[in-house]
Amino acid sequence: MRDGEEMSLPAFARRILPPFAGLPLGPFLTLSLRSLARRRPQIFERLGEHRHARYLIDPTDLPFAFCVVPDGTSAVVRVVFRSAETPCDVAIRGPILVLLGVLEGTLDGDALFFHRAISVTGKTEAVVTLRNAIEDAELRPSDLLGLTGALGRFADAGILGGLDVARRVATTATPTRREVEI
Amino acid sequence: MTAQQRMELVCPAGTPATLRAAVTAGADAVYCGFSDDTNARNFPGLNFSPREMAEGIRFAHGHGSKVLVAINTFARAGDTDPWRRAADTAVACDADAVIAADIAVLDHMAQNHPKTRLHLSVQAAAATPEAIGFYLEAFAVRRVVLPRVLSVQEIKALNSAIAVETEAFVFGGLCVMMEGRCHLSSYATGRSPNLNGVCSPPEAVSYDESGQATTARLAGFTIDRYDPGSPAGYPTLCKGRFTAGGKIGYLFEDPVSLNAGTMIVALKEAGITALKIEGRQRGKGYVSEVVRAFRRAVDAAELGRDSVEIEGILAALSEGGRQTTGAYRKTWR
Repeated sequence: MRDGEEMSLPAFARRILPPFAGLPLGPFLTLSLRSLARRRPQIFERLGEHRHARYLIDPTDLPFAFCVVPDGTSAVVRVVFRSAETPCDVAIRGPILVLLGVLEGTLDGDALFFHRAISVTGKTEAVVTLRNAIEDAELRPSDLLGLTGALGRFADAGILGGLDVARRVATTATPTRREVEI
Repeated sequence: MTAQQRMELVCPAGTPATLRAAVTAGADAVYCGFSDDTNARNFPGLNFSPREMAEGIRFAHGHGSKVLVAINTFARAGDTDPWRRAADTAVACDADAVIAADIAVLDHMAQNHPKTRLHLSVQAAAATPEAIGFYLEAFAVRRVVLPRVLSVQEIKALNSAIAVETEAFVFGGLCVMMEGRCHLSSYATGRSPNLNGVCSPPEAVSYDESGQATTARLAGFTIDRYDPGSPAGYPTLCKGRFTAGGKIGYLFEDPVSLNAGTMIVALKEAGITALKIEGRQRGKGYVSEVVRAFRRAVDAAELGRDSVEIEGILAALSEGGRQTTGAYRKTWR
């Protein structure tokens, strides 16, 4: 298995991305999650009491992170900066392309965790519950964007294809640990 | 009973999506359970509501697969109704069989749902003709899931002495060799797989970063410590690393997984009817890959060809990345 470091965004991509670039994502993702909860409430029901937990999703190769409370139609996503201490129940850290891979099911979250490509601290129960809910959700980008039909399929193909290309570019651009050691 | 028919591949599903993945990947049967204490994999966010179970069974039947519902924990004294209800619900959902270990559940099924197949769970740890004969006579069980303590030769001898189908685990995590009787998790957390359906409940698990190492704890007890970059594991007491006698090591059990993929032909010759893959906590990717690999291996074995080499394919999916044929091949004997 390739480790998470190998799938980090290349340094140039990180440099051109200012911290405030993530700010518009907060309201957008909040609306997306709430819309998803209206269309597929069973995903959030699977979270049980942990739908009220504060999940810090911290892409280690981006200058900002996300604080997510996945409370169905009251869900909230906030963009937070590492300079500020963000209270949370659980923190999940890893390269953004790896985290997105787990979200859309391309990558096995268990294997990534056990191989240390992602790290988890805080309430393990909340993480296990989230992982199981995501596993069952079979989320596609169109689900989060609220798109259906041909438009949804087009969005899925474009975004998933783009992510696949990005992972290959990141893997090529980042020297592996082995290469660095040699 | 000596099996002559085609062996059945029985695969795990922790969620409806995984059930569909297992069926699509070639499972003859899928086993799964309800989201409560009646199920030995009672982890948060996992398992099936009654509605999801009915839908999953419809999907499986539509694709020619069966669904076996695991109601395989031991009922609480004085509070057996949840177990009876789970059995009734499984039957109402059109389950092909109920997997149970508790005598109360077995009796309820035998008395009230005699037309539904009854499989004796591995949790019952029935490994002798006498024990199996009792369950057959008392509850008319149709299949026994064998505990992972027998060699292939012992399975063959057992099958020649009983008149019931047997099912053997071929892949996945290994527990210490005390099926249905492990209370290690209870000592640390107050909850066990046999009574509450959960070993090392996640609310008692923590991973703490300190300095360069990650420490995995269960209810405050340090189970293992991992250096940066080294593979981590889920902290169960049986696979913890402890200091004893001045040495650090795995006192109970090494973190290795069962892979009897090379022994499918031998298991068939020993009279096994069904092969079981462990892993209801694992995700769709894992289930799909393992089921596909075993589908090819079982089909090859049924056609009399050499078993497909699946050890290499599945090594990356095994806990700790290491595999064993477990008790099936006891070379030291």
